[in-house]
Amino acid sequence: MLDNRLIGLLIVFAPLSLLSFGGGQAIVADIQHQTVEVHSWLSNAQFTDMYAISRAAPGPSTLVAALIGYQVAGFLGAFVACLAIYVPSSAVVYAATSWWQRHRVSPIKTAIERGLAPIAIGLIFAGALAVVEAAGAGPLSLATTAVATAVLYTTKTSPYVVVGIVALVYLGLQFAGV
Amino acid sequence: MPLAGESLVHDQAASRPQASLLDIFWTFLKVGLTSFGGSTRAIMHNEAVERHGWLDEKDFLAGFAISQVLPGANPVNLALYIGLKVRGALGATIAVCGMVVPAFCVIMTFGFLYRQFGSLPATHYVLEGVAAAGVGATLAVGIKVTTALPRDVVTILIALAVFATVGILHWPMVPIVLVSVPVSIAAAYAREKKADRA
Repeated sequence: MLDNRLIGLLIVFAPLSLLSFGGGQAIVADIQHQTVEVHSWLSNAQFTDMYAISRAAPGPSTLVAALIGYQVAGFLGAFVACLAIYVPSSAVVYAATSWWQRHRVSPIKTAIERGLAPIAIGLIFAGALAVVEAAGAGPLSLATTAVATAVLYTTKTSPYVVVGIVALVYLGLQFAGV
Repeated sequence: MPLAGESLVHDQAASRPQASLLDIFWTFLKVGLTSFGGSTRAIMHNEAVERHGWLDEKDFLAGFAISQVLPGANPVNLALYIGLKVRGALGATIAVCGMVVPAFCVIMTFGFLYRQFGSLPATHYVLEGVAAAGVGATLAVGIKVTTALPRDVVTILIALAVFATVGILHWPMVPIVLVSVPVSIAAAYAREKKADRA
């Protein structure tokens, strides 16, 4: 049972590692799809919580994989998910580094850079939508998202400051019984 | 001042110090735990180029481009690149561990606390707010990157198609990406060629 879950984590996260263009944001939609809908490891509420915790913690956003692994199969699950999310992409970077050094400026390099950009963007917005859907976002959540987007887009405020303030406001609302 | 920069680069290359593995681990441990969000690049530059002189400016920029274009978390990729340049395979491994292991421990602590307090209604309520703010952060980045895209029908159609199939229709991501990546790179390549001729 545990073995099955560990192998499942490997099968889910290792391919996503190779698709995480620009980091963890690009694969959020598929992480939600796989862990909630396909494998039923998490409820939508738990997925939303995992995503939120990974946004509040320091370090790369891909660490959400470790958090989900921990929730699904304990510490060993976290370890397996962590390896699955970092080893494949790191192997690619490792191999590509030498190639890149030999072809400093080439049209193919530029084409790869430009060609990957729209896909990363499509995936980033898909990830945002997946979290909104999983959270079953009500008016308060949507308003929070709108304000956070506006503040972070128009000012140089750190996302961690915004996340911290929002956490405090929600804590206040909870205790005020709203 | 490119000329002064060039000579500095050569001086550094000639007398580049041998980095100890402990130095590499300690440096990236600091970077991994202290850098939040967009500041990672500046901190890494400060440590690897200015403080330790492990790389020159040009190599750092090449590494930055690689770390962005390839899959994986950008800061982890950049750490791997720097470690690899400085001390080969072992340096790369040490650098990645320095970035990931401490952050992993922090997030495990969070995960542990969540197991203890996750069933409280207040926990989920607050985390819902944090998730909503997190979506805002993602959207802000998405909008910034989108405005930097070339205004070109094929590029915009590819971004929309990926969003619609993965985001709205919930199609599996792997085949979508496997199909869209070669198409998009080929389109970008054709555009480069055309721009060259023009």
